[in-house]
Amino acid sequence: MSIRGNTAIVGIGETPVDRLGRRPGERRRTIPEYLTWAARLAMEDAGLTRKDFDGQGLAAIYTTNYLQPFWPEETASILGITPALSMANANGGAATVSALGQAAAAIQAGLVERVLCVAASCTFVENHNGAEPRDVRDFEVPYGLMGANSGIALVMRRHMHEYGTTLDALGNIAVTARYHASLNPNAYLKKPMTLEDYKTSRLVADPVRLLDCVMPANGGKAFILTAAERAADMPRKPVYLMGFGEQDNPSYGPRTHSDATIMGIRDAGARAFAMAGVTADDMDFAQLYDDYVIIEMMQMEDLGFCEKGDTQYFESTDFSFKGALPIQTGGGMINCGQPSTCGGMIHILESVTQLRGDGGERQVAGARTGLCTGLGGLPYGKNLGSTAVAILSNDNG
Amino acid sequence: MAEARTEPRRPLPEITELTAPFWQAAKEGRLVMQRCLACGALTWCPRPSCVECGSEKLEWEQLSGRGTVYTFTIIRQLAGRGARAFEKDIPYVIAWVDLEEGPRYYTNIVECPVDEVEIGMEVEVVFDPVSDDVSLPKFKPRS
Repeated sequence: MSIRGNTAIVGIGETPVDRLGRRPGERRRTIPEYLTWAARLAMEDAGLTRKDFDGQGLAAIYTTNYLQPFWPEETASILGITPALSMANANGGAATVSALGQAAAAIQAGLVERVLCVAASCTFVENHNGAEPRDVRDFEVPYGLMGANSGIALVMRRHMHEYGTTLDALGNIAVTARYHASLNPNAYLKKPMTLEDYKTSRLVADPVRLLDCVMPANGGKAFILTAAERAADMPRKPVYLMGFGEQDNPSYGPRTHSDATIMGIRDAGARAFAMAGVTADDMDFAQLYDDYVIIEMMQMEDLGFCEKGDTQYFESTDFSFKGALPIQTGGGMINCGQPSTCGGMIHILESVTQLRGDGGERQVAGARTGLCTGLGGLPYGKNLGSTAVAILSNDNG
Repeated sequence: MAEARTEPRRPLPEITELTAPFWQAAKEGRLVMQRCLACGALTWCPRPSCVECGSEKLEWEQLSGRGTVYTFTIIRQLAGRGARAFEKDIPYVIAWVDLEEGPRYYTNIVECPVDEVEIGMEVEVVFDPVSDDVSLPKFKPRS
């Protein structure tokens, strides 16, 4: 029994992002404030109130820098709601897309009628004080692991080696996303950027450059999913979940030395396309999880928008909202900031914005169906460890 | 701030029941991994069961210590918590070395200028004694 077309997003909420708290003593907001703010915006958008979430579903997204073992309960407490179903989504940047699929299944199964998915993070301050993760990290950290930059750099260099990936190809993606950000009032980095800016930005973990990287930020985001038959009575145009797929702990080849240039998104995407009954060619846009530019490129390859390593495609395709394949139409996470694991929800929210026709200056004309992705984790010797794809449409026929 | 800036301590692995044989061997100058007695696959990092077939019959086995560079990065800027311990090493190379026997090993390439490291380079293990108990397997160009 497929969940295809049976649920719809009927409310979205997104707080502005900021970078307060970087300096000691700087006045800032806390996670409960962003959480409350984002949830309120989503409820207002849906024409609902907190009371409508008593006895309903709550998907609480774990934030990596505020580990709290009872996070769903804490989230409900902050919001003053009494859920009948709590989901704790902890697969990093994949968590919000993952939650979307699980929430749809819970609604279809009749456990609840609607689910609030909410996430917030204060990247600079609320670092947890517990022990660092050990296990396999004990075989990386002593060698001078430098966060995600160093992990993605390893993947990026291998991709460049195998496929002759050029800075022009990567730069086209980066420059297009920044252009879209310049048209998005909610974006953070809006100053136009040239291909030359990208190519000459400083190396942080060679070959990863500063302009390859996402920027940490504070903020909160939320969406509300409900049964499709109830969505028709809601104030906003419903955006239906047509396809969903996930692939976790992917391996292409032996598990101890997987092909690091292939992503689990290949299988997650295949599942989502099959459920929706569409192909990559049917997508009016793609909102790709973007912790790094190379990862956007690899997803487009593995989702089937082009052949693997087709540098020419990436150098010459118009990825703008007017182009052949619009991507990152709001600027993506790279230009809107990454409030930890909540950052990935931006791709769901931008998809909804486009499918409602609310994209303003960056609206994709006639957008009907598009996809968004989430990715999380950097396992030992591999690329992203958790991958999820959702296909959304404003028509569930 | 008047507080003296102390040298940050380098992170060391926790030696556990599961990983002790690896670190003991490294201390003795041997690179070992777990071989599955059921399917013959090597498992890495240390695990309680074979990642290919699930068998819990695993036996530590000494490897050749030879491999090739699958990919690498040159670290040029600090990032993240705990990074400052490595400040003096910059620029340095982190690499994934694919061992002759198969598994990929996360390591540093040493005894080689950073600009001369390349994918496909043949390397061999050397052991860096970073504490009384821990010698980190690192790799240098094969002579």
